[in-house]
Amino acid sequence: MNPSWLTVFPDNLRDLLLKLPPSIFPALEEIRIREERPLEINTGGRYYFLTSDGEMTRNPNAAYKPSKQDGKRLLDLITNHSLYTMEEELRKGFITIAGGHRIGLAGRTLLSGGRVEHLRDISGFNVRIAREIKGIADPILPKLLDFKHKTVYHTLILSPPQQGKTTLIRDLARQISSGTWGHPEASWPGLKVAVIDERSEIAGSKRGVPGFDMGPRTDVMDGCPKAEGIMMMIRSMSPDVIIVDEIGRPEDAEALAEALHAGVRVIATAHGSSVDDLVARPALSRLAESSFFQMYAVIARTDKGLAFKLWDGKRRGIPAAVPGWRGREEHA
Amino acid sequence: MLKMFGAALVLLTATLAGWLKARQFAARPSQIRRLILALKRLETEIMYGFTPLPDALRRIGEQSGEPIRAIFVRAADHMSSAHPLTAQESLEQAVTKLWSYTAMKAPEQEVIRQLSITLGTSDRKDQLGHIATAVRQLESEESAAREEQARYEKMYRSLGLLCGAFIVILFY
Repeated sequence: MNPSWLTVFPDNLRDLLLKLPPSIFPALEEIRIREERPLEINTGGRYYFLTSDGEMTRNPNAAYKPSKQDGKRLLDLITNHSLYTMEEELRKGFITIAGGHRIGLAGRTLLSGGRVEHLRDISGFNVRIAREIKGIADPILPKLLDFKHKTVYHTLILSPPQQGKTTLIRDLARQISSGTWGHPEASWPGLKVAVIDERSEIAGSKRGVPGFDMGPRTDVMDGCPKAEGIMMMIRSMSPDVIIVDEIGRPEDAEALAEALHAGVRVIATAHGSSVDDLVARPALSRLAESSFFQMYAVIARTDKGLAFKLWDGKRRGIPAAVPGWRGREEHA
Repeated sequence: MLKMFGAALVLLTATLAGWLKARQFAARPSQIRRLILALKRLETEIMYGFTPLPDALRRIGEQSGEPIRAIFVRAADHMSSAHPLTAQESLEQAVTKLWSYTAMKAPEQEVIRQLSITLGTSDRKDQLGHIATAVRQLESEESAAREEQARYEKMYRSLGLLCGAFIVILFY
């Protein structure tokens, strides 16, 4: 087993991680490297420090402390030896590597006119491991089908961070594009899907080609601001369904409204823990009040897998929430 | 007869040695010039092409003649292997291994070594500054090398022949 994210680690850290028990390894979510401070891993919602023998411990004093050299090497490898190609990423504070894994960075910022111009002296890394879980959308997709128009409803998926929103919409994109609706009466073929992947997280694209299986009829606009990307896709790629991650700015809402009038279905995600939260957010309240979305889903990760609750367009709860469900996990 | 043959051999060897030495003096400034051109191309790749360092080095290496080609391509290989080295280590190793095949000397090597420390580790503006410094240093080395060439190239060429003649006269 040698997943793609391991190749960005310098040899000594890689050897350390390979000593982890085989049961832990596939469930790794985060690896946190902080210069001169304990090496931390997160797995299944629990955290541990790693000793220099690769043992897991809760005692920070026994842990291996990555050196300045380790940090320098790691940065060199994740930037493909070319920090200068990552100026935009550094300004945003993270770098996406091959396989869709995202590495958060912490360091010292340089300001220019009150805005972050550059990040330097980078000493903290958070390697977030992306997982492709095929079939995670199986229980939810049949509920989102619009039988009258042979398509899907405008849907907003809500959850707090780290609950699997991105994993879910990745699988939704794949299934909508390949037409595996998971419903006996849904017999129409797959639809044209356009994914606006502002942070290269959904498709994990490298050089414009998706790293994950996005389905046969999916186009990905990689690294593109959402509002602009939505407009570009509508104008040029004639999508049936547009999928975007983490909307929240006023211009996003405008672009979504545009998509609605163009007759394109939209599946979007946003941070939040309930439908009522939406009204409190200025950029999203307009969307919520004008009942733009025909379906709201609030998802949460449980021990058994993904749990979700649905609301209709007028924010009335829909009963019969399906209990936890776990798809087939595949490692990138 | 044998003596004659020996004398001719000595003369030939000495001339050849002198000629080789002279050629080194002639090659050094032109190699430095090519190195400067390669660095300027790297500057463009970084500033306008946003090309990642391994790709940029490989591309520029393949466009340049030997021996610069070998050094750049070797460094790119080190960076993109299965167990990649850092940019600094890659360039340093390539320079250490392959420098003896060039006509360039220690000062030029030191310039590249200095550059390797910062190459790829900062933003574009900073990279540009470092490359410009390296180019300036190389330019001053180049002019020194040209002076040496003017002074010593001809001298070594005739010195080889003269040395050979001297030995032949001494032992004949």
